[in-house]
Amino acid sequence: MNLPILRAVLVDDEAPARRLLAEYLAAHADVKVVAECANGFEAVKVIGELGPELVFLDVQMPKLDGFEVLELLDPGPAVVFSTAYDEYALKAFEVHAVDYLLKPYSRDRLGEALDRVRERVRMRAAASPAAPAPPAPVAIPAAASAPSDDEDAIPPPSGTARLAAAARPPGQFVERLLVKDGANVSVIPIDAVDYLEAQDDYVEIHAAGKSWLKTQPLSDLAAGLDPARFVRVHRSFVVQIDRIARLELYAKDSRVAQLRDGREIPVSRSGYSRLKELM
Amino acid sequence: MHPLLSRPSRLLLYMLLWLGIGVVLAAGLRVFQPREWVDALAFAVPLALFYGFVCLSAWWVCRSQPLVSGRGLRAIAVQLGGASQSAAVWVGAAAPWAAFLSARFDLGLDRAGILRDLVLLFVLGIPPYLVSAIAHYLFLAFEASHAAERRVLEAQVTAREAELRALRAQLNPHFLFNSLNSINSLVGADPEGARRMCEGLGDFLRRTLSLGAREAVTLSEELALVDRYLAIEQVRFGERLQIDRAIDPAAAHCRVPPLLLQPLVENAVKHGVSDLIEGGTIRIEARLEAGRLLIAIENPVDEDGSSRRGEGVGLENVRRRLGVLGGRDAQIEVRRMGNRFRAQLTMSADLAPGHPANPGPAPA
Repeated sequence: MNLPILRAVLVDDEAPARRLLAEYLAAHADVKVVAECANGFEAVKVIGELGPELVFLDVQMPKLDGFEVLELLDPGPAVVFSTAYDEYALKAFEVHAVDYLLKPYSRDRLGEALDRVRERVRMRAAASPAAPAPPAPVAIPAAASAPSDDEDAIPPPSGTARLAAAARPPGQFVERLLVKDGANVSVIPIDAVDYLEAQDDYVEIHAAGKSWLKTQPLSDLAAGLDPARFVRVHRSFVVQIDRIARLELYAKDSRVAQLRDGREIPVSRSGYSRLKELM
Repeated sequence: MHPLLSRPSRLLLYMLLWLGIGVVLAAGLRVFQPREWVDALAFAVPLALFYGFVCLSAWWVCRSQPLVSGRGLRAIAVQLGGASQSAAVWVGAAAPWAAFLSARFDLGLDRAGILRDLVLLFVLGIPPYLVSAIAHYLFLAFEASHAAERRVLEAQVTAREAELRALRAQLNPHFLFNSLNSINSLVGADPEGARRMCEGLGDFLRRTLSLGAREAVTLSEELALVDRYLAIEQVRFGERLQIDRAIDPAAAHCRVPPLLLQPLVENAVKHGVSDLIEGGTIRIEARLEAGRLLIAIENPVDEDGSSRRGEGVGLENVRRRLGVLGGRDAQIEVRRMGNRFRAQLTMSADLAPGHPANPGPAPA
């Protein structure tokens, strides 16, 4: 059988681990290692440039961990995690990883992972012969996505975001936001974030006097934030509470929050009641 | 707070005792100067109950004047002073009470009679206070021995627990899994290296088990364990992991609780160097300073990486072990200065027996 060539990128901060993987992969004629990366930043850049079919990702790496790398990648490559930690397995499958290799793994175990990868690639090719499709989003319950009359209504987070939230241990929230700008990755600590603003399909992140655009629905992004610190004050705005200097009544049922740096953001009626609960 | 005052049932019992003493006192007063029973009781019982409370004050005096050698005479003098003061307070309360009673009812005593009563009360007031002081000393001694016993037990339990935790932390499964993976990778490219790493890993594990079973090891033994550990990690991290040692040879002979440094060094790798793309240098220092042993582990940390999970467990473990095994004045201090993290241990320098610098008796 003539298998399609799978171009693979190996991401692991430990050289021996990359070497072992490359050695094992050498036995598979249809897999070609096109790059090895020793950290997450490099991985995001290289994978963006090369567009491989297959990525092997270590979880614990400097700066960006494996999950953060995956978050920043355009959908496409089949991802196989490899780590000594078994506690991330559930999370790995929730982000649509094809397989999860526990170090130390055997040649045979890697072989099984590659079989799954080939299967995934074949199914994708059959589904859309023209271009590989991104992973199918998890269906959102119809009731939740039904249009509402209330213009203030907040769309619920997507299925993926809810899964991600479910995988997060209780009481633990996103500590930083990652934004990819071309080949560069910006890491924004959550403490620095002033507010988030929905812009069509993007979220504009306002932090430390600068702003970044991130391709993600505001609801998904907000789902990972600590609800005690971040409040959705408006359909299009989520603000870090301690940034609010004061609230002003603007018109009937409509208020404006003035931030410490003088900027103003709108506060809707339901946003105001959420805010009141927390303040 | 006085132990009786916090327990109503015992306080009640105690006051019943003083009620009895009051009746006896009334009888005594009747013998001393004849009077009606009712007069004697009305005078004596409230005073006895009042004095019951006064005698409890011995508790605070006893606590401030422990009966230790060299200070015993002083304590006795203070207690005698306390006794006469209490008796004086008693008489001070008795005088207006007697005046009040004789003004309202006929006590059958003239002024001189009342005065004689008061003198008698003063004399009678001293022994109960002293008895109370003795009882309090006994109670304190009992409590102290009880607490000491409990402390010993607690220390044993904590030590055992810490030992188990340390051993479990030592055999950190992820460290083992990653090491095995490294060995796996060496087998193909560098079989000799794989063999060396197997030996190194075996040596490290054996040393961990044997050091962990002992109460104290020399710093040089502990550092040898750390070196084995770092040698294994250096295979994983390669050039990214650099070590800088500044060990004073005199300090290396000091005795330290086992497995105290290795977890700190492991933290330095796990939460420091491994989070950095370029890696960094772990600095290990040990020296003697004014009779104290100072050991410090310093490592670079990622500036963006805020609080990474798991940092506390190893450190907490070390802190507990140090508290149990490190002696009274042993301390650990951790600090982050910009992008450096430093854990510093200090304890009184305890030179291993047999070492020439050891002032203690050398083995024959």
